[in-house]
Amino acid sequence: MNQERINSVLLGITPIVLFIALWQSLISFGFAPTSLLPPPGAVFGKLAKDFFNGDFLHDIAATLIRLFAGFGIAVVVGVFIGLAAAVSPAVNAVVKPLVRVLAPIPKIALYPALLLILGFDHASKITLVTADALFPILLSTYYGASMVEQKLIWSAMAAGTPRWQILFKVVLPAAMPSILTGCRIGLVISCIVVFLAEMITSTDGLGHMLVQAARTFQTVDMFVPLIMISMLGLILNSLLHWLRSYLLRGFPEV
Amino acid sequence: MTARGVLKTLSPLFACIGLLCVWQVASLRLDTESFPTALEAIKAIPSILGDKGSLLNILDSIRRMAIGLVLAVMFSIPLGLLMGRIKAVASFFNPLMMIIYPVPKAALMPIIMLWMGVGDVSKILVIFLGVSLPIIYHAFQGSKAVEEKMLWSGAAMGMSAPMRMLRIVLPAALPEILTGCRTGLVLALITMITSEMIARQSGAGNILFNSLDMAQYDTVFAMILIIGAMGIVFDAAFEKLRLSLVRWSQPRDDMPLSFT
Repeated sequence: MNQERINSVLLGITPIVLFIALWQSLISFGFAPTSLLPPPGAVFGKLAKDFFNGDFLHDIAATLIRLFAGFGIAVVVGVFIGLAAAVSPAVNAVVKPLVRVLAPIPKIALYPALLLILGFDHASKITLVTADALFPILLSTYYGASMVEQKLIWSAMAAGTPRWQILFKVVLPAAMPSILTGCRIGLVISCIVVFLAEMITSTDGLGHMLVQAARTFQTVDMFVPLIMISMLGLILNSLLHWLRSYLLRGFPEV
Repeated sequence: MTARGVLKTLSPLFACIGLLCVWQVASLRLDTESFPTALEAIKAIPSILGDKGSLLNILDSIRRMAIGLVLAVMFSIPLGLLMGRIKAVASFFNPLMMIIYPVPKAALMPIIMLWMGVGDVSKILVIFLGVSLPIIYHAFQGSKAVEEKMLWSGAAMGMSAPMRMLRIVLPAALPEILTGCRTGLVLALITMITSEMIARQSGAGNILFNSLDMAQYDTVFAMILIIGAMGIVFDAAFEKLRLSLVRWSQPRDDMPLSFT
């Protein structure tokens, strides 16, 4: 690691350290009572202790299952529809107006309807996550696939590749950077939405933990799920980053 | 306008009608108490909008959303532009943003409510937090991509640094910034509804979830229609504004890429 890199990392850690210092000093100097703002030490201590607690791990597992199920479905459906819309004008004519109408709707408002139709179990939450993560993935797949250079397709055709194989051997890999960008946006949205859905109605999961703590005024327990979801987002994001650099290893610039 | 053009502008309308038809058929097939037909839901809309209390509630929500959005735009664009032009500022704020990004801002609502009460201030603050990040991000990307040569020629003509920021970087990054604002607009609507759902005091989200709790199912679905229509109308209005502001930039496809 060269000097410049170290400097920029140090500079990046500064605001986080400052933030925690400010948080601590608000309590130490008596501006905020600990019942409203627990000290950072207590919050991180609770978080570390909770890792040996079965209920907490169960909550994380419930959240992760919903997150992955919803996100996975969104990736498959989004890439499929996006590719189909980019390749066939007929599909495009149907998909485009539908997307224009559905994309700007705040999906969280659909959640009551999903609750009434699908019930209070996993299904409604997974559907909500899918509905929210779908559009960024669909749109970036569509853009990526429709921007593929025509020469690539022509040369594949000249080499005698069957038409449907061109889709998987040329168009899909060429659209990959754009698809992965969409997946990254979709992943962050999934994290946010799964948490909100659990806050509204749930019996387990990180969002439920927050609501439960808020109802009983356990301020320390309110911060724990928030920090946890942020950490989950960071971990998943870096996993995706790693996957991206693996999948795009042949590309000139990532 | 040609017949094809008319078809193209009307196609979202057809999509709406098609979706409502699917809904109607699905609810007739399922035939349960809790899933009213599309027609029943549409019939319930006038009674909500006609009621003075709920109309005021909805307008109140829109007011809070507008204030939060405007504050976020005023704060985020300068910060994003600075991050794009000055490397130290970018490496200062980037890790912090990465940590804050996956936290659902509406989930901060219970904590902020403890500090500031259930009033306007905490709701506007949550909307502000939710909207800021995508706008900062897009302004950052936009100003990073500004061509260096334009800045050099600006400097050669004797423009000062703040002047260059205002006259060169801001217009050059404007298309990207407006993409961020459009994302922010949708996010503002989402955050507004979730914050009202948690605070349950007033507003559109409150009507929605209260009627869910009281099993007034046609009101639930009518509110969903109203909120959905708000999303579509705001988005379309913003798109008009965007097109008139950045007419000079290359025509882009009419679908927004990111709905962060």
